Amino acid sequence: MPLSPSLFRPRTLDEALDILAATPDARPISGGASLVAMMNAGLVEPTALVSLTRIPELSGIRRAADGGILVGAATRHSAIAAETVFAGTAAVLAHAASQIAGVAVRNMGTIGGAVAHADPGLDFPPALFAVNARVHLAAKSGHRMLPIRDFLVDWYTTALEPGEIVSAFEIPRPKPGSGFYLKHARVAGDFAIVSIALSLADDGEARVAVGGCGPTPLASTEANQMLSENLSVGTVSRAGELLTALANPVDDVRGTAEYRKLLVPRMLARAVREITSARKAVA
Amino acid sequence: MSEPASLTLKVNGKARTATAAGTDTLLTVLRDQFLLTGAKRGCNQGVCGACTVLADGRPVRSCLSLALDCDDRPIDTIEGLTGEPIMQALQRAFIARGAFQCGFCTPAMLVASFALLQSNPRPSDTDIRRALSGNYCRCTGYKKIVEAVLDAAARLPAETPA
Repeated sequence: MPLSPSLFRPRTLDEALDILAATPDARPISGGASLVAMMNAGLVEPTALVSLTRIPELSGIRRAADGGILVGAATRHSAIAAETVFAGTAAVLAHAASQIAGVAVRNMGTIGGAVAHADPGLDFPPALFAVNARVHLAAKSGHRMLPIRDFLVDWYTTALEPGEIVSAFEIPRPKPGSGFYLKHARVAGDFAIVSIALSLADDGEARVAVGGCGPTPLASTEANQMLSENLSVGTVSRAGELLTALANPVDDVRGTAEYRKLLVPRMLARAVREITSARKAVA
Repeated sequence: MSEPASLTLKVNGKARTATAAGTDTLLTVLRDQFLLTGAKRGCNQGVCGACTVLADGRPVRSCLSLALDCDDRPIDTIEGLTGEPIMQALQRAFIARGAFQCGFCTPAMLVASFALLQSNPRPSDTDIRRALSGNYCRCTGYKKIVEAVLDAAARLPAETPA
């Protein structure tokens, strides 16, 4: 039974999926950081809400048997920012989480809610590209798994079907190395104008993704291969050009499309400098 | 969305009863039904921080919290924290430093600073700026607020009281 005619609070994933299947207009809600703001602004008027924060199987971070990491969709940003399991190449995820909004919002917002919202200025999507994450989706009709690049489809649009929710993110076993999230915003905690998520393994493998420059994060297999071979100024510059060529940003209150394109190669170079100098300091 | 339901919230240590529809926020219930007006409705978008309260002892945005979804978490507002030594030290330091002008952001600044000093009794200038980065002040330029929190920390014992 819902607590009121309009708010359901299931205790298990199956119960939540049953409600969503039976109530087509219901919106899943987790931390509320995006959806309640949109409701307050009159942008959405859900007829029913299904709160996902009391379902133990959707919360928390755990190691999989193969050394990978499973992050429940209702895990809050503050928990991810503080989680030491995100070491090596996976450090980029905790670093991104630590730069989302301010303390109070990090105590509320959840990774599943953020990624399902699919705002191009969000911090998690590029970081999830950089760790090569897969998204677990659950529905009454069955469960499936998608690479993050196939989950994010367009501006505020994901591969989620009606009645389906994000249940977890699966991060392949991190490699020894480091991760860095470089965010350029007007003020601390604002949406990114441009962001760079970078993971760099000690064996040389590099993965980079760019946020804020189009409907979904920019990533390029070719750029990753180039950066995995060497991190010379020339190579980083060419990888920056490749990524800029993929950019499809818009003009908005935070910056023009042209400005965003100018930032991409400069920020990539800075992210590489930061990550390599931090690595030298440790070595 | 629809008919209000009754709910009981634990606010400042006391069980209080209210009615709320599914979309009503904690902020609305605190201000309009409990007349606890220390938490302010600024942007109502989770950006300005003026509505900050503690849920389970941690700062959250009351404007982004659904009231009906808060009945299993203790809520503390500025009104309920004034007896706490950390809060009293902060209040004295804010007054001594003149760390406000219009005062609209002040209750939430105090709540966020209180949460910081509870977890980190000796914060640096940077720690304070990070902890308050989600609380906007349109008057002071923040300098006196940061100084006031540093002052309050210096006057409190370094160990967090149990």
